[in-house]
Amino acid sequence: MLNEEKIILMTKLASYEGREGKKNGAVSGYFRSDYISLRVIESLVSAALAFVICFALYIFYYFEEFMENIYRMDLLAFAQTMLRFFLIWVAGYGLVSYVVYSVRYSRVKKQQKKYYNNLKKLAAMYEK
Amino acid sequence: MRTLLEIKEIVIKIYGKYEVFIIPVLKFLLALVSLLAINSRLGYMRQVDNIGVVLIASLLCSFLPNGFILLFGAVFILLHLYALAIEVALVGLGVFLIMALVFFRFSPRDSLAVLFTPLCFFFKVPYVMPIAAGLLRTPASVVSVGCGVVVHYLISFVSENATSISALDESETVARLRLVIDALLGNRAMVVMIVAFAVTIIAVYLIRRMSIDYSWTIAIIAGVMLDAVILLIGDLVYNTNVSVLGILLGAVIAALLGKLLQFLVFNIDYNRTEKVQFEDDEYYYYVKAVPKLTVAAPEKTVKKINTQVSGRSHVQTRDPRAGEGRRPVAAGGRTVTVERTGSAPRGVSPRTQSGHTVTGSYRQEVKPVDTTKEITEDQIDDFEEL
Repeated sequence: MLNEEKIILMTKLASYEGREGKKNGAVSGYFRSDYISLRVIESLVSAALAFVICFALYIFYYFEEFMENIYRMDLLAFAQTMLRFFLIWVAGYGLVSYVVYSVRYSRVKKQQKKYYNNLKKLAAMYEK
Repeated sequence: MRTLLEIKEIVIKIYGKYEVFIIPVLKFLLALVSLLAINSRLGYMRQVDNIGVVLIASLLCSFLPNGFILLFGAVFILLHLYALAIEVALVGLGVFLIMALVFFRFSPRDSLAVLFTPLCFFFKVPYVMPIAAGLLRTPASVVSVGCGVVVHYLISFVSENATSISALDESETVARLRLVIDALLGNRAMVVMIVAFAVTIIAVYLIRRMSIDYSWTIAIIAGVMLDAVILLIGDLVYNTNVSVLGILLGAVIAALLGKLLQFLVFNIDYNRTEKVQFEDDEYYYYVKAVPKLTVAAPEKTVKKINTQVSGRSHVQTRDPRAGEGRRPVAAGGRTVTVERTGSAPRGVSPRTQSGHTVTGSYRQEVKPVDTTKEITEDQIDDFEEL
């Protein structure tokens, strides 16, 4: 005899495993701090690379002015300004990443908890 | 309406049955249309502007993950820009890298919106994008749609100013670079479009999530109006030179396509809304349940009567999925076969103990019939009337 409740539960579990399950499984394998710090480090590297690209385009854009004033301009002050921009950008992006990945981790944990509860329910059905 | 619902059910059924083939075909078509659109707008590199190359790339995209359509699109654009001027290609590469590094990290699932947005611009229906993103996705898709708008303006700037870019002397590298960067950063129309789309996506999302009747319809109408108003205000303040008639016409088309999306994704019957209230140890629950508007796919009944020489008759009820090999035909007898196809729930085909597959949304129990039982002509007539 078909057990509708069991079928619904199994369908839900299979659907979760097929969609978010694999990715969430990888996320929930981490401790919260490990997951967030890894993702934030990746974000910091991305932000640094993006800054380098923007800086390169900026230098190309003002290439002629740079070449004309290279011996007159205060290179140290310019480097300090750029470094300040770099730090603000990277820190800001890192902060946003921290918030995003914290929320994401909590959501994944909640989904995983629900999934394991459903698994327990299914196991209980088999024990009956 | 009923016919449309029936067609929708049939389409869903066919999709469920042939999903394995339909998805690669759709991916192939999306890649093909995107790459052809890129070639038609840019098309500076002859080797890439070739239907053979496009077909091969589209075929590859059909079985690779979705992100590869985006990758191939970006590569095609960069190759065309490179053929025009290396400086333009450098700016394009910078823009794509910044998008990939900074924006797509957070919403990789919405990356296809970056492809769909310039495509919608190409087909002259750009205002559909914020409505569709707000209805189907989350506010996070603001980033992808915004990136899509940037890509569109980059492509259209290059295609409109290709002559002036190539007219610049090759030694004027910086001038070429400045021309493209200025066009991107100083493009007020682009900024207004991004702001309008972002506000529309968020507004549509918030309204359609509200617990009010006809929330999706209200979200669509409010979204297109808000979009049009922001674009018109942007035109007044920053003189973006957008066509007022184009905006209004685009808004109407966006609303119609939004309604089509609603029909396909969120078609519910507010007349049968039920509001229930109950409680448990911890909470009071105020539940509003709105039933979906669905009809069963039309049922097709095929009757076959094979009269053979001998007087023996057999009646059998057969499931069409059982296959030809399972139809027992008694030698020299009269066989009545009834084939019934119904609207089976997708992906579920429970089997009874007798091995017959029960299909259909109708609740009908299919019982195995003793195929060796003899019946009279009257019984056959009765059966045919059924």
